[in-house]
Amino acid sequence: MPSFKLVWRNLLRRPLRALLTVASLAIAIFLICALRTMITTIAAGVENANPRRLDVMSSSGLFNELPLSYQAKIERVPGVEKTTKFQWFGGYFRSQKHFFAQFAIDPETMFDMYPECKVPPEQIEALRRTRAGCIIGRSLAKKFDWKIGDTIPLIGALHPRPDFKAWEFQVVGIYHSDVPSFDNRTLFFGWDYFEETLKAGGVPPGVGVYAIRATPDANIERVIADVEDQFKDSEQRIDCATEAEFQRQFQTMFGNIPLFLGWIGGGVLIAILVACINTMLMSMREQTADVGVLKSLGFTDGSVFGLFMAQAMFLCLVGGAIGLLVAWSTQRPIAALIEMMFPGYSITPQTFALAAVVSLVLGVLAGILPAVRARRLRCVEALRATD
Amino acid sequence: MRCILLVPITYNLRSLLVRKSATLLTVLGIGATVAIVSGVLALRQGFSTMFTSGGRDDLAVFLRPGATNEGDSQFSRDRGLKLIKTVPEIEVGPHGPLAAMEAYLAVLLAPKRGGLTNVPLRGVQPMTFEIRQGEIAIIEGRNFTPGTDELIVGSRLVDRIENCHLGDLITLNRTPFRVVGVFEHPGQFGGEIWGDLDRFLSTMGRYGPNRVIAKLKPGTELGSPDPAKVLFSDDPPEPTPGSLAARLLEDTEVPAKVYTEKQFLASQTVMLSYMLVGLSLALAVIMGLAAVFTATNTMLSAIAARTHEIGILLALGYRPLPIFLSFLFEALLLGVIGGLVGCLMALPFNGLKAGTMNFQTFTEMAFAFRVTSSVLLTAVVFSLILGLLGGAWPAFRAARMRPTVAMRRE
Repeated sequence: MPSFKLVWRNLLRRPLRALLTVASLAIAIFLICALRTMITTIAAGVENANPRRLDVMSSSGLFNELPLSYQAKIERVPGVEKTTKFQWFGGYFRSQKHFFAQFAIDPETMFDMYPECKVPPEQIEALRRTRAGCIIGRSLAKKFDWKIGDTIPLIGALHPRPDFKAWEFQVVGIYHSDVPSFDNRTLFFGWDYFEETLKAGGVPPGVGVYAIRATPDANIERVIADVEDQFKDSEQRIDCATEAEFQRQFQTMFGNIPLFLGWIGGGVLIAILVACINTMLMSMREQTADVGVLKSLGFTDGSVFGLFMAQAMFLCLVGGAIGLLVAWSTQRPIAALIEMMFPGYSITPQTFALAAVVSLVLGVLAGILPAVRARRLRCVEALRATD
Repeated sequence: MRCILLVPITYNLRSLLVRKSATLLTVLGIGATVAIVSGVLALRQGFSTMFTSGGRDDLAVFLRPGATNEGDSQFSRDRGLKLIKTVPEIEVGPHGPLAAMEAYLAVLLAPKRGGLTNVPLRGVQPMTFEIRQGEIAIIEGRNFTPGTDELIVGSRLVDRIENCHLGDLITLNRTPFRVVGVFEHPGQFGGEIWGDLDRFLSTMGRYGPNRVIAKLKPGTELGSPDPAKVLFSDDPPEPTPGSLAARLLEDTEVPAKVYTEKQFLASQTVMLSYMLVGLSLALAVIMGLAAVFTATNTMLSAIAARTHEIGILLALGYRPLPIFLSFLFEALLLGVIGGLVGCLMALPFNGLKAGTMNFQTFTEMAFAFRVTSSVLLTAVVFSLILGLLGGAWPAFRAARMRPTVAMRRE
């Protein structure tokens, strides 16, 4: 094995080059972490899905509402323990720039069915009592500096108020969730207020999604088949699926975006690999005469090979480590920047591991060609080299 | 006038050739960077072409006040009809006012890549085709017969989504519709499924259409503010007082907001467009930085290897400035060759069809990568900048050498 001192001295021979190589490697590893995290963020919903929860929506897609009468029918199916309903409100605060999701929900059942949405019980109670009350996510509250008691005016783009004025919701609670699939930037408000207001304008309210909690001993396949069977001759056909399946369908709507992110990551890898090989070849060429000296001093071919491998590995590992550090420490600002498209951006341990392996492999690939060349050099030829 | 003796260009060309492997690897590195950036730019170009081509200035789009897209908007049939009859700015053709109601819905279909996606569904009236004469071209089969359960599909869907070929059946809610034609449209319609307005409304259980479109009389000024500004500003601009837009917003019977089609389409992708511009900028800066580092490395080592030669050049009487320019030129050349290689790598993506969800409308958008001349030009300029930044410092170092010191190095 070559001594660490020799490796270090060789790298310091051109400190600027070593620095630039480490910096470009760090950039590449950071980009790979960031791109892969965008992909895993999209997939996070599936991994965190609750196996006992099912979702029911119109088989024509989320654009279509289901009648209110379906809830009672779903509850009659054996194996269904509890149900709750969601309707996408589709409003915006001041301008679309400040997009966040809002749902009309049933406070009696929703919080019970989604224990990952943590709210103090007295705040749920307050939502039951307050006609135009709402409970908002922690990050949403932080972003707009909303506190309990504040009023949030929302323009109902999808569900306008009969007078076309803004809806007004009073904050009665703030929830938080620790799972990435349930974001912290949604507004939930009571169903009754929603239904009464729409009815006053002559519009019948509908339901976007019914969620089902199956009994612990229920056969999920069976429940899905039975629920779907209930509505096979109804005015709106439905699709029933496990939460994981529902999330998976939702993900596929991202279309080719994850693939493109993967391509970009691949391109980054190629560019950086080429750059690393280049640097190592350059430094090997400059050290040709040194190789001659080392070999005439009695260094074996193997230890010369090791010396060059160690230089490449050292650069790549340091660069990789810096890249990982940068990726890890920039999670918050990046998450804030892209929360609309990829809510819950957070780097998984697997991504970190992958990036570490990538820097290791880069080191091997970048070092192997110069190291083999150095190993093959004959002492006399090497000594004769001029630069 | 003092004459500055320039270092012959062939010197640089031959130097690049002598160091073949370093030149090749640098070119490849810059090329990959340029290819990625131009790929993202081509994606953005595909989006914007799709949404701005076909957007007409003489066509008005009427939406419900407060709505931000077609899916949000809804009129009852009566209100839609009343709007068409009462707005005097609408052009009248041989078969009545040149205006039509449209339903904008979505159907969950299976893309060939797997999963499900919301494909946009547009219910149209016979008048729609009269308004859009020359815009919609049936390229296979025939148009649907009004009042029947027939469909025509946009050409960008045919090879990407299941059941979109001639003769296939697509079930909307509970009614099967037959695909009888394929139509072509360079804009967003090319990624949609079209059929009869009333059949769509009744099978999907909708009470009214989503929007009204109308051809305007020549010279009509709508007076509506730029919708992109309305959507993204905390203090949205108001329509011009007294204009059609202002009048309709205050209308007591059928309040509506109105845009030209061009304005409307531009507003529908602002978010995705901003996002892609942001992504390409971020990638260009971050990856560009890495590429500049690589180029600097290459040039520094090129200069280190040629210290002796630089000493000779200086001893021959070449001034530092020509030597600086000579090495800068070499770096620019590396950059530009890298840029051209990057363009070559990006070109195969031209025309590649892809789809993703537009978050503003929640529907699948089918689009194609478009590697246009402006994308290529941007890529080449980008590679020149990379070469310039990567070459400046090494060239400066070369120019500052002292001939005696440089020549002593063997």
